[in-house]
Amino acid sequence: MGMNFIRFLSNHRQEVLTLTGEHLWLVAASMFLAVVIGVPLGILLTRRPKWTPAVLGFNNVMQTVPSLALFGLLMPVPWLGMRAGRLAIVALTLYALLPVVRNTYTGITGVDPGVRYAANAMGLTSAQLLWRVELPLSGPVIIAGIRVATVIAVGVATIAAAVGAGGLGEFIFRGLSMVDNNVILAGAIPAALLALLADAALGGLQRVLLRHRHGRQ
Amino acid sequence: MHEATIEFQDVSYVVDHHRTLLSSLSLAVHKGEIVMFLGRSGSGKTTLLKLINGLLQPSRGEVRVQGKPTSEWNLIQLRRHIGYAIQEVGLFPHYTVRQNVTLVPNLQGWEKERVEARLRESMRLVGLSLEEFGSRYPHQLSGGQQQRVGLARALAADPPILLMDEPFGASDPLTRGELQEEFRLLQKSLGKTVVFVTHDVSEALLLGDRIALIDGGRLQGVFTPHEFLNSDIPVAKSYAESFRAMQKIFES
Amino acid sequence: MTRRALLAALSLFFAGCRPRSRQVTIGSKNFTEQLILGELLAQYLEKAASLPVERRFYLAGTYICHQALLARRIDLYVEYTGTALTAILKSAQRGDSQAVYQAVKSEYQRRWRLEVMPPLGFNNSFAIVMRGPEARQMNVKTLSDVAPHAPQLRMGIGYEFLEREDGYPGLVAAYGLRFAEAPRVMDLGLLYRALENRQVDVVAGSNTDGLIAALDLVVLQDDRRYFPPYDAVPIVRPETLQLFPPIKRCLQGMAGQITAEEMRRLNYAVDGRKVDPVTVAREFLEKKQYFQSPA
Repeated sequence: MGMNFIRFLSNHRQEVLTLTGEHLWLVAASMFLAVVIGVPLGILLTRRPKWTPAVLGFNNVMQTVPSLALFGLLMPVPWLGMRAGRLAIVALTLYALLPVVRNTYTGITGVDPGVRYAANAMGLTSAQLLWRVELPLSGPVIIAGIRVATVIAVGVATIAAAVGAGGLGEFIFRGLSMVDNNVILAGAIPAALLALLADAALGGLQRVLLRHRHGRQ
Repeated sequence: MHEATIEFQDVSYVVDHHRTLLSSLSLAVHKGEIVMFLGRSGSGKTTLLKLINGLLQPSRGEVRVQGKPTSEWNLIQLRRHIGYAIQEVGLFPHYTVRQNVTLVPNLQGWEKERVEARLRESMRLVGLSLEEFGSRYPHQLSGGQQQRVGLARALAADPPILLMDEPFGASDPLTRGELQEEFRLLQKSLGKTVVFVTHDVSEALLLGDRIALIDGGRLQGVFTPHEFLNSDIPVAKSYAESFRAMQKIFES
Repeated sequence: MTRRALLAALSLFFAGCRPRSRQVTIGSKNFTEQLILGELLAQYLEKAASLPVERRFYLAGTYICHQALLARRIDLYVEYTGTALTAILKSAQRGDSQAVYQAVKSEYQRRWRLEVMPPLGFNNSFAIVMRGPEARQMNVKTLSDVAPHAPQLRMGIGYEFLEREDGYPGLVAAYGLRFAEAPRVMDLGLLYRALENRQVDVVAGSNTDGLIAALDLVVLQDDRRYFPPYDAVPIVRPETLQLFPPIKRCLQGMAGQITAEEMRRLNYAVDGRKVDPVTVAREFLEKKQYFQSPA
């Protein structure tokens, strides 16, 4: 069975690459949006703590909605439902937001109060505090959030094929239709590998950042 | 230049509309002197410091620095002209000693040579070798070394005013004693205006030109060390008694 | 390590983004008839026009095929005019084959510049089916013919037919069918077996179901035109036509070349006799001499 599968993979090399590329695109686009929206949002929450329950609550709800249901819910939305790609990316971004926002928020609020006190007393402006102290010190925590979000995105992106957005999920659904294990695995295994790769890569990044920060006070 | 560098005019500070941390405090700190704010934990001492550099604004009354009320100062600039050393030290863990100490001068846009010169001077003043410690990270230093770096950082921009919030509190008594003595000598040569917060009466007596006694958010009195030891005010008397008791133990 | 991983991911990403213009990607939905049609188109274009073809079959539905076409993941697939009209264009318009075809063709052109090619020649709409001997004996050829016999007959339908607006309720109303009892609702796969075993006398299947050819069954004509037409039409992207001019000629050459009867036999070959669709398609093309279309 193993050899059979390897043969299948090599026969369908091009298709595997195509679908993997589509999958990566979905994940990359939505992670980009999640970071570009999520990190500033997390920072904003540290400045306006009153908004935190509402924003984190909303994110929580988004994460709780089952992915297929969310795709279905978004489909009738005017501009969004017109293109499966848009739909999928918006849904994936919503899923990736919570870990990013929450970790940005906890990372920044978790900065040593003594360091924050000293920084303010020394006359750092709010922006300087953010760029020189808060972000560098919460970097590893933020990356951890991005890491979790990316792995989630790779997983949910397999469902995107169900609404026509392509990606490795197409193999999986097709294999289910055809009742063909090779086809299912041709989708499932690369997807799993992608998730592991992303996790490892971001974990490496985390370690690199931590090297400059061994041990807090 | 106003005579009093720092002045509290009938200052009160209230939190949450009903908790009064300070009431009706009036005090003048003169150029070049060290005033020790002595009091128990929770007596409002740290609040006083934060009112000086605008981290807090008074609920009533006015705090003036170099003649101008803090409400009128550009607070960022005010803080950059005041050296601040705290008990937690608060060195940036991701900066080297060098980066920590030179931060404010760099923020102020000084030329590299001036920054470098000032770095050397600050390290010399606190008794640390720049060559040995400059590239180290805070977690690679002992507690006492970190406090020295904290002090060097406060001195780096050569500010006219120093605010010290129990800066040597986190050390063992031996190190604390060393730091206190070194600071005393340092202050003699530098002549900065220093407001020093402490709960330790011996530290207050050792370092202060004057001692401002704070109890329950009120100023109980301002004394020279000698006046303090002979005062009739109950709180001062308690402190004086405990101090004498300690001395007796050492003498016997 | 991180840099290497990043490079690996990026190269994988770009590997997948090969320029699509180099080949024609043919899509299909995930049921037998669509797979056969997809294979037919693929082999036809490969052999008759020597075009490089990529297959992307088993797409799980109308919406997904349409999206894939818009996103340029596929260049061509076979849709049904009725489905395009109601499910994709969301139009309430009705009419005969010609009217529906024209409406779909012009709307697809207007909204997405997609080309709807001429119908392949068969209709895959709902079909009301009876056993052959009985139909001949009762001399019924159309749904209007069977209406007076309804009280003596039992009907079998699938769940979807029961639920759809243009399904059972509408049919009964349109022809005044008064069956003795409520229809028996069952899984689509069991309908014909129930018909054969005389558990039901009339079933609602699809016009091109393979078993209609295999068993001696009769499709009753929808003389009042109750069911919308579902003519099979190839839909293709304009850029593909520009890049590969032979496609236009080929697809036009296929117009009207597949009858309902032929489609039923093809479906039966795959579903009933378990022949693989690639072979079924090839044999059909050979028999039809590749529609004698110039390359």
